[in-house]
Amino acid sequence: MKWEFSNDAPIYAQLILQIKVGIVSGTFSPGERLPSVRDLAMEAGVNPNTMQRALTELERDGLVYSQRTAGRFVTEDQSMIDTAKRGLAERHIQDFLAAMGQLGYEREEIVALLRQETGKEGITDGGAGM
Amino acid sequence: MLRKLLKHEFRATARIMVPVYLVLLVTALGANFSTRGILKTPYAVLNILGSLLVMAFVVAIMAVCVVSFLLMIQRFYKNLLRDEGYLMLTLPASIHQQVWSKLIVSSVWFIITGVVVMLSFVMMALDVSFLEGMVQVLQQLFQDITAYYAINGTVFLLELLVLAFAGSIAFCLQFYAALAIGHSFSNHKFAWSVAFFFILQFASQLVGSLLLLSLNTSLINSLLGSLDFRVSGMTAIHIGMGILIAVCVVYSAVFYVITTYFLKKHLNLE
Amino acid sequence: MAVLECKELTKRYGAAQALNHVNLQIEPGRIVGLLGPNGSGKTTLIKLANGLLTPTEGEILVCGNVPGRESHACVSYLPERTAIPTWMSAAQLMDFYGDFYQDFRRDAAEEMLKRLEISPRQRIKQMSKGTREKVQLIMVMSRAAQLYLLDEPIGGVDPATRDYILSTIITNYNPEAAVIISTHLISDVEKVLDDVIFINQGQVVLQSSVDQIREEKGMSVDALFREVFKC
Repeated sequence: MKWEFSNDAPIYAQLILQIKVGIVSGTFSPGERLPSVRDLAMEAGVNPNTMQRALTELERDGLVYSQRTAGRFVTEDQSMIDTAKRGLAERHIQDFLAAMGQLGYEREEIVALLRQETGKEGITDGGAGM
Repeated sequence: MLRKLLKHEFRATARIMVPVYLVLLVTALGANFSTRGILKTPYAVLNILGSLLVMAFVVAIMAVCVVSFLLMIQRFYKNLLRDEGYLMLTLPASIHQQVWSKLIVSSVWFIITGVVVMLSFVMMALDVSFLEGMVQVLQQLFQDITAYYAINGTVFLLELLVLAFAGSIAFCLQFYAALAIGHSFSNHKFAWSVAFFFILQFASQLVGSLLLLSLNTSLINSLLGSLDFRVSGMTAIHIGMGILIAVCVVYSAVFYVITTYFLKKHLNLE
Repeated sequence: MAVLECKELTKRYGAAQALNHVNLQIEPGRIVGLLGPNGSGKTTLIKLANGLLTPTEGEILVCGNVPGRESHACVSYLPERTAIPTWMSAAQLMDFYGDFYQDFRRDAAEEMLKRLEISPRQRIKQMSKGTREKVQLIMVMSRAAQLYLLDEPIGGVDPATRDYILSTIITNYNPEAAVIISTHLISDVEKVLDDVIFINQGQVVLQSSVDQIREEKGMSVDALFREVFKC
């Protein structure tokens, strides 16, 4: 998994987002055991405490759960993953709409443009990727 | 912790001293061959070679002395006051242990250097008859001293050893103190060290002569005059050795206090 | 208990004020960035914590002790220069550390040297500057100390070495210990820090957590630093 960080948001928040994407896109499959905090932190090149914080928040949201001795696992509850996926998608759409609004596009124009663009690229369905 | 410091200090210095000693002993052997054989041959080339071998021996003797002296200074300067000081002075050891480890190791090398130089002379002149003669002379000397002056030879030898040790510690400390003071400055640390070496020398000689003067005029004279005591040869020598050792100890103590004070309170590594 | 505590700590070199009434507390379990421009007092603070300098006023306590042989046993210090004796081989250096520090983990050091393909028989003298710095860092991070004081660990090395150094710090530090990293290369260390301390002209101007800065100011520590220390 490739980790990238921007400068405007807290690092733990960016970690949460990227792990969520990992879960939704299947890099971490449902029920899979996650690497240890230390290993994940090393892979991402971040402070272990920060990684711990991100995982704790994900745990609170229910996307991952921990078993006392065995470690942390990705949830097996598909509906929870779907919700997360929907949440991520909404974020992207919000950002997109905000950017388009800044350019001066009205809602209908955006939809029309979108239809035109997606038609051109031949994307019809199954475009779950990011 | 002192034991560990000593171990590593010996390790760091032995790698220099041992090869130098070996070179000296080899040149002593060379000089031996040359004096007993090569120089007596009628061939000019061999004669030149022979005198070169003897010269090498003389140079080696000087080199051993110079190296053991420079190593004493270099170990204190480089290991404690330069970059390595960042490592050494943050070890879980006290400044006292650091200074003592340097003092002990340097003094031990000084004494070994003395012994090895003597040994090299023996090796140079090595000849069974000569060796026998020398042992005899030494024995004779020892007996004579004991008999004539009624000196206890062993005690005297022991005193000599203590004096050598105390003397070399005092010798080292005057350099250590100058280096420690000089390196408390921010710039020109080495130049300051040299300057302070001479200042300290001057000061100690001044104090020494003042002390002698005052003693001469007042206290000792009256003391000696009033006391009617006969000093035998033996006691005189023992007293003399005792005074010399005491002077070394007092001298060392002053420089030791200066050294440790500056290392503790005014350390200023570059 | 704080592993490092400064109370009104002041250091003057003659008339020059290097540290000016600094008050600080560093708790265990944190990786702290000591950030400031050159000459701001970072190195002076670290040297004081190591007993290499004596405070002019105030007090500094390390693991509850005034710097000295007790505190040295609980601090692992990486100076900004190569301090390891260059005549030694890597193996002799490990003997040295093992002899003086009870918390030295020789197996960890050997493992790290092996991964860098540094032979224990190679002398420090024969190594490149970058390798020497890595060896020194390996020795420092192979100790299970309570406080790691790393003075400019990533200054003057290439980006690949920088990454290696940072990952070595993250993987090897003891979670009950505190790590203090002094640097002016903030963007490189930002991700590994919990907290930052901004220091300027001998005074602490800011002490905060990285996440808090990003959350409240909406900018990276690097950006904030540039703003605070704008010339």
